Amino acid sequence: MSQPQQAFKWVGTRPVRPDGVPKVTGAAKFGADYHLPGMLYGKVLRSPHAHARIRSIDASRAEALPGVKAVMTGADLPDHPFAYVGPERLAVNFWHVTRNIMAREKVLYEGHAVAAVAAISAVIANRALALIDVDYEVLPHVIDVDEAMAADAPLLFEDMVTRGIDPPPERPSNVAKRVGFEIGDVDTGFAGADEIVEKHYRTAPIHQAYIEPQACLANWEGGGKAELWSSSQGHFTVRNLTAKLTGMTIGDLKVNPAEIGGGFGGKTIVYLEPVALTLSKMSGHPVRMNMSREEVFKGTGPTSGASMTVKIGVKRDGAITAAEAILKYQAGAFPGSPVMNGCMCAFAPYDIQNQRTVGYDVVSNRPKAAAYRAPGAPISAYAVESTMDIAAKTIGMDPLEFRLKNAATPGTQMVYGPKLAHGGYVETVQALLDHPDYRAPLGPNQGRGSASGFWFNGAGDSGANVAVNADGTVTIATGSPDIGGTRASMALMAAETLGIDYDLIQSNVVDTETVPYCHVTGGSRVTYATGLAVINACEQIIDDLRARAALMWDVDVDAVVWEDGQAKPASSNVGDFEPLTLKDIASKFSATGGPIGATGTVNAGGQAPGFSTQFCDVEVDPETGRVEILRFVIAQDAGRAIHPSYVEGQMQGGVVQGIGWALNEEYIYDEHGRLSNPGFLDYRVPVASDVPMIEPIVVEVPNPNHPYGVKGVGEVSICPPMAAIANAVADAIGRRMQDLPMSPPKVLEALDHRNGREL
Amino acid sequence: MTARAVTGTAVTVKVVLSTGTSLSHTGGEKEFEVEARNLRGVIKAMDARFPGLGAYLEEETTVAIDGQIHETAYFQRLGEGAEVYFLPKIEAG
Repeated sequence: MSQPQQAFKWVGTRPVRPDGVPKVTGAAKFGADYHLPGMLYGKVLRSPHAHARIRSIDASRAEALPGVKAVMTGADLPDHPFAYVGPERLAVNFWHVTRNIMAREKVLYEGHAVAAVAAISAVIANRALALIDVDYEVLPHVIDVDEAMAADAPLLFEDMVTRGIDPPPERPSNVAKRVGFEIGDVDTGFAGADEIVEKHYRTAPIHQAYIEPQACLANWEGGGKAELWSSSQGHFTVRNLTAKLTGMTIGDLKVNPAEIGGGFGGKTIVYLEPVALTLSKMSGHPVRMNMSREEVFKGTGPTSGASMTVKIGVKRDGAITAAEAILKYQAGAFPGSPVMNGCMCAFAPYDIQNQRTVGYDVVSNRPKAAAYRAPGAPISAYAVESTMDIAAKTIGMDPLEFRLKNAATPGTQMVYGPKLAHGGYVETVQALLDHPDYRAPLGPNQGRGSASGFWFNGAGDSGANVAVNADGTVTIATGSPDIGGTRASMALMAAETLGIDYDLIQSNVVDTETVPYCHVTGGSRVTYATGLAVINACEQIIDDLRARAALMWDVDVDAVVWEDGQAKPASSNVGDFEPLTLKDIASKFSATGGPIGATGTVNAGGQAPGFSTQFCDVEVDPETGRVEILRFVIAQDAGRAIHPSYVEGQMQGGVVQGIGWALNEEYIYDEHGRLSNPGFLDYRVPVASDVPMIEPIVVEVPNPNHPYGVKGVGEVSICPPMAAIANAVADAIGRRMQDLPMSPPKVLEALDHRNGREL
Repeated sequence: MTARAVTGTAVTVKVVLSTGTSLSHTGGEKEFEVEARNLRGVIKAMDARFPGLGAYLEEETTVAIDGQIHETAYFQRLGEGAEVYFLPKIEAG
């Protein structure tokens, strides 16, 4: 499916991954691998209640325990005014944030941090936690999103009035915010439809389930300065948030990036860092903290669960006349679900002139939701793409042909305002229609389903340093943690730009004092934006190398060109000079002006969205309700795959996480609002035996705003799988599964109540 | 990237506030014509019409210029008749 390849030497190749050897040999240092002399162990006391008022905290017995060096509560962090700061969707209210780091007036979920201890051993720290006396007034709680929206629901914040409604409601509620988008005339559109499909769906909140729990080491150095080592998706963001939450200035805090054992959005924020730093300041010792798996489940953000209604009107020829989605997302204990993204992405693959999407951000007594791979988009995609499947079958069209007929193309009006500027969706659908397995015969209890997804992809602020060494090797330094192969992609783009061998380039992720600011590794932005910073630096170096070659030849700089990694005379009129390689010039760096290096910084724009279309085959066991994935094919537009193996890995990884979301993953709460399955034995993520070989088809419709056509590939792959699987299950058993996960008990129940075939 | 000087002549562009953005500054009005040399000029012109709106646009929106999405950064250049949509910032994962 790829567009005709330009003659790239390095872009599009598959060199050995640079992080492979350190990871398999154990040399890579993750968050919990850092030690300092005199280091203490920090532990967090967490709420046993889903909702309670804190009457008092008495830490005197813990403080008296030998070996305990510091005990802190929320009162040891500076408080913040109640104000939303920054862009609306990303609005940070530090009054909320500091209370999520450590509770003050109330605990709002089981696992909410209440106090923390630093001691000379983990055993003593844990003993000390048991000696902290917290007097709680237990309050009624609410977990479910629909129940949280009910008029008589227990209120998490007695003064929270829904934002986004004019005039504002007179009564407080758990609805933090309403958002809405609309284009065209939705009512007229539905009136013109031959068929209208309307369904309600629910999804369970699920965790990012990264392998490495949160971990950090903090060292308060005195004199107002401090240093952190932390596993995160953005150590600059860790620095900025931790400084704000502990009352420091940004420049006084240095953050070192650890290797990261998965993040998927969940490590774009902080939990332990402000606590560890405060304990370090109080004790005068370095403090290391790392979460247990149970703490990860109970104390860190999953993505939202949701309750959604989607309505689609179609003509019998397949044209969609109108569409509407009402999306209610759980934010967890504090406002800030990704429902706005869900609204913006819901129908984005389609050209629908009459659309309305409305979203509600709803708090409940669960951990605060955090970003998870295309935040918000997979949730609404499940509801929309399931309804698309029903609509197609209602009018007797092939579901992929139906999508193709209504496909968004450049110029399509998007519900969020502008017209779509980039293509790539049609090509993903066509790739699957052309796939021989799409029409392969199915056996008994087997079904096939397809679905599509959209994600914006990100860009924004990044910086990079590129240095040329005396032996002709090149060192790249960026501040973008590598969670998807970006060290390799940076080196490949630098090799292509400079015209030198990939093997001559070292690509590193460095601390906050060594390179300019980089925004988080998220939004599928790094290969695009940080890549542009690297390319920018390389282009500056090429100009410098040309100038140095001109100096060596004693000619004007305009008489020197850079081709194939060499300085060459621009024409025969310049003189008879042998080309100078980068190594030749580097060896003369001192004589020609000093060290060779450049810093590239960008606020990158012009990113292009990602589209993915997928189909899968399933077999449903009528005795157990177990759904087995037999085949999974994913087509995704990468723009240009810089390192195709990593791109394919991102595509496959998103699908695997989607399989878990579809079939098994969910939080199970008891009647007290306590989580019953905070571990991988009972919270079941897919393992290798659960998934077939996932076939990736890398579609390449290059982004003209990037020298190598990059779009971004890390997220959109997780948008379609839930609906693709639900559609396949419906095809197999004639029952429409409208409540995720489609776990065996739910599928069995659906089979037991089968009464006529559903689409 | 170093700061870029303002150059060139002003052009007339169409400015649209997406329904997802706050329209309270404009009393619900969504579409405007503005003369500006770059995005900074658009923001200044909108702020002159609706005091306070400029800060909102800078802090809380992403911009699409003829469909191409950018951060709301001052330096973005504009062509005659360009469509400038301000839409809510997008969260990354």
